Amino acid sequence: MKLSKIGLSLFTGAALLAASVQPAFAGEQKTKPILGIPKSSLDDFGGAAGVHAWVESLFYYIMLDNRISHIFREFGNVERQIALNTQLEQMVLGGAVEYQGASMSAAHADLGITMTQFNAVVEAAYNACERNNIPYKTCNHLIAALAPFTRVIVTR
Amino acid sequence: MNGSQGSKLRLWSCAAILGATAAMHSGVASAQYNDGKVFLTGGVFTVDGAGGGGAVPWATITGYETRDGINGGVGYTYANLPALQLNVFGGAIGFYDRFELSYATHKLSLNLSNLDTVALLDEILGLGLGTDPWNSTLQMDVYGAKLRLFGDAVYTSDSWIPQVAIGGLYKENTTGELVRTLGASKTKDWEAYLAATKVFFPLSTLVNFTVRYTSANQIGLTGFGECSADGCTNDKEFRFEASIAHLLSKNTAIGFEYQQHGGNLDGKSVSLAGGGLPLEGLTDLLGPLLPGVQTALTQEKESDWMDVFFAYAPNKNLSFVIAYLMLGNISVAQDQNGFYMSMHATF
Repeated sequence: MKLSKIGLSLFTGAALLAASVQPAFAGEQKTKPILGIPKSSLDDFGGAAGVHAWVESLFYYIMLDNRISHIFREFGNVERQIALNTQLEQMVLGGAVEYQGASMSAAHADLGITMTQFNAVVEAAYNACERNNIPYKTCNHLIAALAPFTRVIVTR
Repeated sequence: MNGSQGSKLRLWSCAAILGATAAMHSGVASAQYNDGKVFLTGGVFTVDGAGGGGAVPWATITGYETRDGINGGVGYTYANLPALQLNVFGGAIGFYDRFELSYATHKLSLNLSNLDTVALLDEILGLGLGTDPWNSTLQMDVYGAKLRLFGDAVYTSDSWIPQVAIGGLYKENTTGELVRTLGASKTKDWEAYLAATKVFFPLSTLVNFTVRYTSANQIGLTGFGECSADGCTNDKEFRFEASIAHLLSKNTAIGFEYQQHGGNLDGKSVSLAGGGLPLEGLTDLLGPLLPGVQTALTQEKESDWMDVFFAYAPNKNLSFVIAYLMLGNISVAQDQNGFYMSMHATF
């Protein structure tokens, strides 16, 4: 009992440390889609709350998809993944938000993500847009903003 | 003899494609089976069999496979034009989102009263024109291969570089007599094309440009090159094609296509006995009986093809395309505009 508690607190400490240390090492930059991202994109998504709701839906669909759910489950701490993704998505849509997670390349380097798995997340992203009544065209601005990460996320 | 060999080959091709797709479906190649591509990004079934739009092959590789595996499908297309009905059946297999093999077989029925007049005479005089007084039919088999060279049509939203592929098609028209009657030089020939495709997410639009090196008349349905009293020529040239598809939602698109055509047979009279006997003699004979028969049997200027289309994929295993074709002048027929329907089943 005690041991597991110590383990848990150690783990939490390590996780917090990692979360606080990561931006200093790498962080992630906003992508530069050739046709730009409209200034209204973040508002069209419903602002910070809208993006957060969308990310929650995204993870809902990810966790239902047997092709990819295991990756996210093994990664652990889905709440934290949702929080970091909410920051990332706001940032790429042009929001004045600091993304506190690891760079896309660092976060996915050891996962051996395939194009099939990446596309499965994209499908989940479109499903999340539909679920949250975000118009297809608005959704595509986020896809355009995230698409360049394919190069560093898909490593196999 | 020749005809029966052609049909045997066609049967074998159909069987091979059905067999291959069935094998993939049943799991013989399950280790390599893959359907991870995003909706509609493999294109649909072109009349050439290759993956693309309706008439224009794209740089995308057919099927729903990613670089991780193999996928493919079969397609059927029917176009109903005032004087022509086109049936196309075929299939294509994509390997690792890199390479594609395709096959399509065409049947073009000609309901042309002016050609039927010639056919009646052919039957009476026994000229061997390949026409049929009730329904002359042109047939063609198309074998294709496509190789993706570089680029990613879908995900490189921060670069102007499109996905680029080269392809080759070998077209074998199996109705040689009729093709020669219409004045073409060759019944079998190859074509090559270079295609560039890119998805612009912020516009929800796919844009494709293709350049084809060919001497085809009506994509080869009326043969290749031309013959006249001076002899036969079969000079290939570069022709331009384009597709624009706007996605209304992730599985629904509307768009426009354009395909430049040549003018090998423009103004040629339908000729008798394989090009050796131009129709003038016959029209002189018929002239007093049927005024205007000569102009009626002169082929119109071949029009470029255009269409507007609506594509819908209810799921990854099926897509439907409905289009309105504006094919203009085809052989001796004018204003060949009408509806097109295509189904593409992927496995």
